[in-house]
Amino acid sequence: MLRATIDADVFREAVDAVAALVSECRLHIDGGGMRTRAVDTANVAMVSLELAPDAFEVFEASERALGIDVTKLKNIVGTVNRGEKLMLSVPEGGQRLNLAFQSYQYSLTLLDPNTIRKDPNAPALELPGRVVLEGARLTNAIKAASVVSDKIALGIDPEARAFFMEAEGDTDNIRFALGSDEVESLSDVRARSLFSLDYLKDMAKAMSRASTVEIGIGIDHPVRFTFEIANGKGRVVYLLAPRIEAD
Amino acid sequence: MGVALRDILAPYKRRVGWDGMAGSAAIDAHNALYQFLSIIRQPDGTPLVDADGRITSHLSGLFFRTAKLLEMGVRPVFVYDGDPPALKAATIEARRTLREDAARQYAIAVESGDEAEAYRQARSATRIDDAVIASSQRLLDYLGVPWLVAPSEGEAQAAWMAAEGSVSYAVSQDYDSLLFGAPDLARNITISGRRRLRGRTIAVEPERIRLAEVLEGLGVTREELVEVGILVGTDFNPGIRGVGPKTALKLVREGRFATVLDERIPGFDPRPIREFFLDPPVTNEFMLDWRPPDPEGLREMLCHEYSFSVERVNGALERLGVSAGQRTLDQWF
Repeated sequence: MLRATIDADVFREAVDAVAALVSECRLHIDGGGMRTRAVDTANVAMVSLELAPDAFEVFEASERALGIDVTKLKNIVGTVNRGEKLMLSVPEGGQRLNLAFQSYQYSLTLLDPNTIRKDPNAPALELPGRVVLEGARLTNAIKAASVVSDKIALGIDPEARAFFMEAEGDTDNIRFALGSDEVESLSDVRARSLFSLDYLKDMAKAMSRASTVEIGIGIDHPVRFTFEIANGKGRVVYLLAPRIEAD
Repeated sequence: MGVALRDILAPYKRRVGWDGMAGSAAIDAHNALYQFLSIIRQPDGTPLVDADGRITSHLSGLFFRTAKLLEMGVRPVFVYDGDPPALKAATIEARRTLREDAARQYAIAVESGDEAEAYRQARSATRIDDAVIASSQRLLDYLGVPWLVAPSEGEAQAAWMAAEGSVSYAVSQDYDSLLFGAPDLARNITISGRRRLRGRTIAVEPERIRLAEVLEGLGVTREELVEVGILVGTDFNPGIRGVGPKTALKLVREGRFATVLDERIPGFDPRPIREFFLDPPVTNEFMLDWRPPDPEGLREMLCHEYSFSVERVNGALERLGVSAGQRTLDQWF
């Protein structure tokens, strides 16, 4: 059972963050809120979303896993006007998610959770490099790099006390560095890993509105982006596997 | 070969395009493999082979088509035939004779340099052997796509999985799936956009048939649709000579199924066949677990063992989001 009311913008932000990587997911609901964790079809990237009950104006749920067609949900939630309230409900044992807003009443068939890939475990990752910076700065750098290449290196240069991003194209390159005085926090550990910009561009859309994004990096290790949504009542974590440098 | 109901089903086929295919799909594996083996051939009918002369047409079809399906948001599960029912013995024997005959005609056509005839006969001589099945299953494992072996007919199992809700729809070119109770049947999704039919190349696109619409439109029950199939002929009986689907439908609607059978084929008992369509042996012992593809395993099998082009394999993998050099999260879980 689910009965919830939430600001449409907040819910849209949450759905968009998941839709950036996967087209369907298992959404776990219970008294502790909503949660999902899913990997993309190629197993290269993972998204984890948590929305606490107080991210909602009304939230009542009994424990259940809902199979969600994320793409469809994103398209529906995308049509709700700014500032509107969105009512979500699933009757006890029901097979449909009802969405009500303005004068619309959508009824979305739930997917059988057994046909959706199993939730991945939380990976055991030691990422010694840590940088905290404004979401907009990160996403602008990702956009800038995608002009010249399809991959980007993220790293920390402890001597220069700087976080850097560099992209090497066939003929062009770009380097973008932020000193420790230009970011909110920076650890003095050497780190550098290479990532696909295709994935980063999709993640960047969701991160652009975050006031701060915490980045965890290592050497040829995945990168972890953690940021808050829903005015601090929700959290998104992205994980992206690296590319091999020699490529 | 299925049941020849095309003429009465035509109004219920809906062309949906690829956008309408997302979801999980139980695919009749033998049906798909047969298509790959019979269609993917050179103009003189020679199948694709690797450096050692092993046939690779089915692997080429299965790999590139499955990659396309995954790219289009389809989560396929392949359902292989188990033991054929005793009812099918005559059909199997007839097909074997046909194949052997086609193989002889193929050799003659090749010798006389008649390419068109060679192509035609080579297609008719297509057979699915243990090596084809084993290599296709190994390929599916590398693709991270689940498969299972049905207790009996693969399409019966696929139809049941769709009816029971384990998958969104069943996939087969044969209309038998409807007789087996598939609520939603998709066709033309395991073959490429262009297909050779009776010597001509035609464009095909995915289409879906909903059983409920067929039954309502034809004004029959599923049991009666099975009766129509029995009069026309199925994989389990030859049907009545001269009775096509329209006549059969008329006879069944008029309640003359039993009397016509008595008159035309005295002594023939349709009950085991009807029973088989309505309640075929199926299993619920399967796990639908879609995993990410194993790019190294795929390159090793296709490029090294079967001499596929590295560029083409990498191209397909890239469409699946597996770029060369891109690692997966597996090693950190």
